[in-house]
Amino acid sequence: MSTERELHLGLMFWATGTHAAGWRHPDAVADAAYDIGLIQEVSRTAERAKFDFVFLGDRLATDPALQHSNPAQISRLEPYSTAAAIAAATSHIGVVVTANPTYSDPYSIARLLASLDRVSEGRAAWNLVTGADAAAAFNFGRDAHWDTDKRYDWAEETLQVVRDLWDSGAGPDGTGARRIVHRGRYFSVDGPLDVGRPPQGHVVVLNAGTSDRSRELGARGADIVFAGPQPTLLRRKEYYADIKARAARYGREQQVAVMPGLTPIVAATTEEAVALYDRLNALLVLDPDQEVGELVRAGGIGEGHRLNLGSASKVFGVDLRGCDLAAEVPAETLARAGTSEEGARRLAEITRLTRRTVDGPCRITYADLVHITPAPLSHTVVGNPEEVADMIQEWFEEGAADGFNIYPAYVPGAVTAFTELVVPVLQRRGLYRKEYAGRTLREHLRLPVPPRGTAG
Amino acid sequence: MTGGTAAPGILLGYQLPEALLGGPTAELVTAAERAEAAGVHLLLLGDRPAAPPDAAGPPAAILTASVLAVRTRRIGLVVGAAPAYHEPYNLARMVASLDHISAGRAGWLVVTGPDPAADANHRREGADPEVGRQARAAEFVPLLRDLWDTWEDGGFVHEKETGRFIDPARVHVLDHVGPALQVRGPLNLIRPPQGHPVVLAPAAEPLVAAEADVLTVGSPDGARAARAAAGSRPLLGTVTPFVAPSEEAARDLHARAGAPASDQEHAVLVGDPGAVAQRLVDWVERGAVDGFTVRFPSPDAMAAFTGLVLPHLRGAGRFRGAYRAATLRGNLGLARPANRLVERLALAADRGRS
Repeated sequence: MSTERELHLGLMFWATGTHAAGWRHPDAVADAAYDIGLIQEVSRTAERAKFDFVFLGDRLATDPALQHSNPAQISRLEPYSTAAAIAAATSHIGVVVTANPTYSDPYSIARLLASLDRVSEGRAAWNLVTGADAAAAFNFGRDAHWDTDKRYDWAEETLQVVRDLWDSGAGPDGTGARRIVHRGRYFSVDGPLDVGRPPQGHVVVLNAGTSDRSRELGARGADIVFAGPQPTLLRRKEYYADIKARAARYGREQQVAVMPGLTPIVAATTEEAVALYDRLNALLVLDPDQEVGELVRAGGIGEGHRLNLGSASKVFGVDLRGCDLAAEVPAETLARAGTSEEGARRLAEITRLTRRTVDGPCRITYADLVHITPAPLSHTVVGNPEEVADMIQEWFEEGAADGFNIYPAYVPGAVTAFTELVVPVLQRRGLYRKEYAGRTLREHLRLPVPPRGTAG
Repeated sequence: MTGGTAAPGILLGYQLPEALLGGPTAELVTAAERAEAAGVHLLLLGDRPAAPPDAAGPPAAILTASVLAVRTRRIGLVVGAAPAYHEPYNLARMVASLDHISAGRAGWLVVTGPDPAADANHRREGADPEVGRQARAAEFVPLLRDLWDTWEDGGFVHEKETGRFIDPARVHVLDHVGPALQVRGPLNLIRPPQGHPVVLAPAAEPLVAAEADVLTVGSPDGARAARAAAGSRPLLGTVTPFVAPSEEAARDLHARAGAPASDQEHAVLVGDPGAVAQRLVDWVERGAVDGFTVRFPSPDAMAAFTGLVLPHLRGAGRFRGAYRAATLRGNLGLARPANRLVERLALAADRGRS
């Protein structure tokens, strides 16, 4: 990156949309996960809006029980082959694949990513995850899930070997290949990489997380860090400052972009945007269990939870069971619901999203209490194009973000809405590019191609 | 499985030359389009995770195959992959994804041979590809079929009106525990369009060949044991053609390539188009093989074979030159497999009741 800060935008592609009921929206394609033509079209939409990249998430297990709380986590195409198909249909936009080193080896990862970089002519990126998902271990011959330290030790050695392998591959003229003969704690790898050095030198690396180990890995080894969920702008700024401070210790302050997730619910007017948000929530399938239930953890990627009045009762400390979802909640009930810190935080969040308040004239409904998601992966904003752009500008200028991963609530309608309504506002304000400056992802990010042998 | 007799004429697979696989995408796509226009059944993309010294090989086959999948419509796309260097869950996903992306045209050639250079790239704590290579390969193929079967057809409901996204009753845990591999499942994507992508394997590897849909052999001469092993399943011999409009020109091409000789690995064919076509027809007529994997020494050789030899085969009524089905299975005369895992689970449930 140059010293002049630039806003960056990525598109997080979850085929169901990132709203749990997004796939049921009339403008959604319900089987988008297997519609490669649609996946290509959505990528072209993002490319027309000059996005830095389209991002393919992944998970190495499935749980059918998530179908109503987190359908995006159930099934999808494998990222590398999907990314190649996207690259074939686009010319500029970067393509991010998620790959978990915990269940692979460095040579395979280096080779597949370098191959993607070649097929896309310099547009590949790797979202390095270590997998908090215990279920994946059983799909890879393990009896138990590795603890965080083992996963990060393994991931750090992987990243080092992968970069050494990228540097070991022959250049475009077919020369320069060399063995690496790595003999490490976990891996023994001879090299050279058979598919050649990637056109970008090193494929761009992304990393997410809030733990100390993941922040450190991101600051030292990643080009983009996409922040985990943080409840307030203040906490976002603290996270941003922490990543930059850690990166500065490695001389990389200018080389790490922080890009949190953002789910924009946008329409021409505020009223229409709130109506859209309400409509999506109305499509959620509620858990029939009305008893006060424990919040259930949805397999490591974000938090799923039981959506019903029983669970809401527990969160807000008020018995809501048996109430009419569409009805407004009496002011005295809301007052009680807001006595706990968590309850008050959620009520404020509901007001921010729906504009409905605890004391009227338009009061919070029972449905609102049920639908509020406890810890979403991304920050949700509901509003007209100027309001959404205001939020993006504020976070960018206040030092909470260098850009955003845009999570569409549903696909493809919410992608089109953002690119057609919000991106032009950002461009008009001089915050976002109107044309790509180059052809590779490194060029979009203003990251130079690293010389050989400077990994780590 | 239905066999070679049901398939019309000679089955043809083109083994894409490395120069094309490693070259500019536009040239590769053009070559694939030409093969497709000629009705070639499948393209075979080799994949070897080790480098010749001081050279860059082609990108990983799965990525190139995916690019070709969205640039072609009918031709089959077969990727080579060695069980030694893949986790079954990952490879099952990749081949299944290719089948979805290509709308039912994916295949997997099981690579089993020893490869010390590739082994030296893939050693990690708890996994050495040199150890138990054959046992792992044998267990791998049925395991991938089972993983593809963990989702029943119709398990992905995505019904907007009711909000039913999937039918959990049609998604199955596998709990595979074998001597070499352990995988719980289910797979995290739905059953491939072909049910199972087409599995090709060398007839000389009996442990692997038993579970394959299509078998491959080196030279069609001396393929008797392979023929016996294949039974009614299609068997593809391996040929390397040097063909030119005249026999003299063909001999010249062959000489300039260092005059490679036929051996167990492949039969080298040198001649004018009519003579080369006749050799292929003879093998199939004798029942030695049902078709061929054609290895090309260069992209030009591929163009020459398509332009010169295929018209002879078509003229002789030995090569259809057009696709009769939308899937690779259909074009090879192979049936879409029933869900074996569900059959097994039903059987186990019956036993439990009796």
